[in-house]
Amino acid sequence: MNRIEVTDLVVRYGDVTAVDSISFAIAPGELVTLLGPSGCGKTTTLRSVAGLETPTGGSIRLNGDIVYSGRRNVPAEKRGVSMVFQSYAIWPHMTVFDNVAYGLRVRKLPQSEVRRNVERVLDLVQMQDFATRPASKLSGGQQQRVAVARAIAFSPSVLLFDEPLSNLDAKLRAEMRVELRELQRRLDITSLYVTHDQEEALAISDRVIVMNDGQIEQIGSPEEIYNRPISRFVADFVGSANLINGTVRGPSGKNRTLMFDAEGGMQLEVVAADESRSGQEMAALRSSYVHLDDPLETHNTVQGTIHRRMFHGDFIQYVVDWPAGQLIVRRPPTELFDEGSSVTVSFAPEHCVLI
Amino acid sequence: MPLIVLLCGALVLYPIGFLINESLNVGDPSAFPPEEYGLDNYANLIDDYRVLTNTALVSCVATVLAVIFGFLQAWILTRTNIPGRQRLERLMELPYYMTPLIGALAWGVLLGPKTGLVNQVWRSFGTPGDLFNIYSPWGIAWVMALFEGTVAFVMISAAMKSMDPSLEESSRVLGAGKLRTALRITLPLVAPGVLSATIFVFAEMLGSFAAAFVLGIPGRFYVVTTSIWQATLSFPPDYGRAAAMGLSLFVVMLVTLTLARLVLRKGTYTTITGKAFRPREMDVGALRWPLLAIAWGYILVAVILPLGALLLTSFERFATVIISQMQFTFANYETAMQMGSVGPAFINSLILAISVSTIGVLVIGVLAWIIYRSRMPGSGAAEYVIMFPQAVPRLVFGLGLLWAWINLPIPIYGTLWLLALAYFTVFLPLGLRTIASVVLQVDPSLEECARVCGAKWGYQMRTVTMPLLRPGLVAAWLLIFIASVRELGVSIFLMGPNSKVIAPAIVNSWLSSSSELSAAMALIQTATIFIAVAILFGVARRFTGVTQ
Repeated sequence: MNRIEVTDLVVRYGDVTAVDSISFAIAPGELVTLLGPSGCGKTTTLRSVAGLETPTGGSIRLNGDIVYSGRRNVPAEKRGVSMVFQSYAIWPHMTVFDNVAYGLRVRKLPQSEVRRNVERVLDLVQMQDFATRPASKLSGGQQQRVAVARAIAFSPSVLLFDEPLSNLDAKLRAEMRVELRELQRRLDITSLYVTHDQEEALAISDRVIVMNDGQIEQIGSPEEIYNRPISRFVADFVGSANLINGTVRGPSGKNRTLMFDAEGGMQLEVVAADESRSGQEMAALRSSYVHLDDPLETHNTVQGTIHRRMFHGDFIQYVVDWPAGQLIVRRPPTELFDEGSSVTVSFAPEHCVLI
Repeated sequence: MPLIVLLCGALVLYPIGFLINESLNVGDPSAFPPEEYGLDNYANLIDDYRVLTNTALVSCVATVLAVIFGFLQAWILTRTNIPGRQRLERLMELPYYMTPLIGALAWGVLLGPKTGLVNQVWRSFGTPGDLFNIYSPWGIAWVMALFEGTVAFVMISAAMKSMDPSLEESSRVLGAGKLRTALRITLPLVAPGVLSATIFVFAEMLGSFAAAFVLGIPGRFYVVTTSIWQATLSFPPDYGRAAAMGLSLFVVMLVTLTLARLVLRKGTYTTITGKAFRPREMDVGALRWPLLAIAWGYILVAVILPLGALLLTSFERFATVIISQMQFTFANYETAMQMGSVGPAFINSLILAISVSTIGVLVIGVLAWIIYRSRMPGSGAAEYVIMFPQAVPRLVFGLGLLWAWINLPIPIYGTLWLLALAYFTVFLPLGLRTIASVVLQVDPSLEECARVCGAKWGYQMRTVTMPLLRPGLVAAWLLIFIASVRELGVSIFLMGPNSKVIAPAIVNSWLSSSSELSAAMALIQTATIFIAVAILFGVARRFTGVTQ
C-alpha cells in the first residue's frame, strides 16, 4: 500500500493556479523529491499533503486513508505526518529538549517515555550535549539538526521536508545531505522532499518528480531524469545540457537509434523514448558526456575548435565552436586543451536524447 | 471575532460622523439634531483670519527651528565621531516623553515675565525689564520646536542611518574630497528625508495644543487648536464653529501628511533601503568640541533646564533663584496629593491607564491577529478604519467624542467610563501598530510546525503563539499606559467634575493657582512616565534575544 497518494490535486488562489492537477504515489520507505524552480507549485503540493494548505480539488491519501477530498479535509494536527520547515521553525522560547519533546507531550506520553525518545533522537542527530541549551542560542546547522530530531521524535508515518538545507552554506549543505539520506535509510521512513537544488535532488532521492508551472514534467529515478530528460525544461533545469535543433530522418537501422539532421549540416545518431518520432525536433546532449580528442565512438564525430577554457576545479568547462554554433563541454581537470586548438568532438548516440 | 472589528470601527467612525453633522449646524448650536443645515460655519472661518495667521506664524517658526535642531543633532549623533554619542542619543528621547505640556510649564517657570527664574537673574543684575517673555508667539514656537519637534530628529537620523556608506566611499575613491562628497552625494541623498520630515513636523505643529494653550491663553494669543477649545467654552458654546474649525484643521493636516508621504516615496532613491547599515563616521578633528557643545546644549535646553526649574520650584514656597530668599518645603507635593481634586485626578489617571491598557492589549491583540494572520476578507479595510484616529488631531477627535456621547441616551458623560472609552478609541492605532510589528515578526511556520506536531489550536496558542507575542503585548501595554497618563487633548473635553485626570488638572492648576504646585504635579506625572519607560526598555532588552 502506498504511504502517500496524491490524485489530480489542484490548488488555486483566486485566478492563479498554483498546482494544476498532479498525481503521484510514494511507496513505504521511499524518498521522493519534488524538484522545480520557485513558484512551480512544489511547496504548495507539500503543504497540501501536510494539511497547511487547502486544495481546490483532487484527493490526498495517507496510509490508505483519505485526508483530503472535495468533502473531507483532515486538519494538520490529525494527519500524523511530520515536517521539517525551510526556516527550521525552532521555537526560540524553549530549550532544545522542549522543542524535540513537543510532539511527544502533545500525544500525552508519560514523562519517562518522552525523555527516552528525546534522548534517542538527539543521539541520532548528534545533538545529545545540547538538550538544555536555549534554542535561540544555536547555529544554523544545529537548528537544522534539532528540527530533524523534532520531526522524527514521535515516529511519524510520513516525513515532509520543505527545502530543509537551503539556508545552510554550501559545505554544510553537502554534509547534511549525506546525513539526512543516512538517517532516512536507517529509520526506513517514507519521505517527501521539496528542493530547487537539482544536485541535492539527484543525490538523495529514490525518485525525482520534476515540476514546472504547477504541472509534473517528469517522474523517474535520478539516473533516468539525468540521462533521459523527456522535455526541454527537464534537460535545461537538471544538470548542464546542450540543445541541438534538427530534423529526424527516421530509424538508422541499428541499435534502435534514429538519424538526425542537425543544424550546421551534421548527421547525428540519436535516441528517443518514442522511436516513431519524425520531423522538426530538438535533441539534448549533456555537457559531461562529450569527449574531446578521444574518438572511441564510431558515430557522432565532429571537428571543432576550443573557443574558451574555464577552470572550475572539479572539472574544466570548454566552449567549443562546432558546426551548430557553440557547445558546452565539461571534462576532468586532467584533460587540458589550449584555447584555439582543434579538437575532435564525439559522443555516444544514447547520450543524445530527443526531447 | 468579526464583531470586534465592527465594534471598533463604529467607535472610530461614529464621533467623526457627529463632527461633520455638527459643523453643518447653523441653527441653535446646542440643538440636536441640528434644526438648520448650511455652510456658514465654514464661511465664518475667514473672519478669524487673526487665528489663521497666528497659527501659520507659530507653526512655521516652530518647524524651521525643529528641523534645524533635528538636522544638526542627527548629523552630529549619527555621522561624526564625537565622544559619548550613544548616551546622547538615549537622552534625545527624553523631551518626547516629557510632553509639550510639561515643557511649556517648565519654560513658563524659566522665562515667565517678572517671575521667570531666568528673568529674575536678569533683573538682579539691575537691568530693567525681562530678558525674554515666553508668553509670546516666539516663546510658543520655541517650546513647540523643542518638545513637539523631536520627531524631526528621529526621521532625519533614520534617513542618515539608512544610507549605504559605499555610496560615499565610491565618491571618495573616484577622487572627490570630503566637502565635494558631502555636497554632491550625501546632501542630495538625505534631502528627501529632510523635506518629508519638514512637512510632517509642520502638520504636527498645526495640530499641537499644549504649548499654545499654556503660553498663549494668558496673553490672549490664539491658534486654531486653542480657539476650538475657546469656542466650546464660550456661552452659549459654539460647537458648530468648533467643529468646522476642527474638520478644516483635520483636512489641512491630512493633505500635508499625504504630501510628506508622497515626497518621501517619490524622492527616495532606491539605494536607501530598509537594510541596516553602519554609517561611516566622519573624523571631525578639532571641530568635535564645538559640535559636542551644540549636542549637549540641546539636551540642556530641552531636558536639564526644564526639569531643573520644575524640580527647584516644586520644593520652594515661592519660585525664586535668589539664594537668600529660598524657602524649601514639601508642602507642594503634599498639597498635590491631597488637594480637592488633584490627588484624585492622579489616582483616576492611574486607574484609567491600567484598565485601558489591559483591556486595550487584549482586544487589539485579537484585532491584530484577525487583520494580519487570518486572511479574512475585508481585513485591509478594517486596518484602515482602526488606524484612522491617528490622522485626526487629538483635540478634534476629543471634540467629536464629546458631541457624540453627550447626545447618546447612555448616561456616561462626565464619568471615567467615557474617558476610558475615548482613550481606547484614540489609542487603537498605537496599540495596533505595536502589536502588528511583533505579529509580522513571528514566522508563521513556527505555528504551523506546532500544528503538524499534532497540537490543536488552543494548545498551539498557549505553548507557541502567546509566549512569542509576549514582548510585543508588554510593550503595547506600557505604551498605552504612558499615552494615557499624558493624555490631554481628549481629556480636556471629556473630564467632568468627578472624573478629573492628571494632565488637564495640571493645566487648571497652572491657570488658576501657583506655579510651585503645578511644578510638583508636573514632576509626579513625568516621574510616572519615566518609570514606565524604564520598565519598557528593561522588558525590551530582556526579550530582544528571543524575538529575533
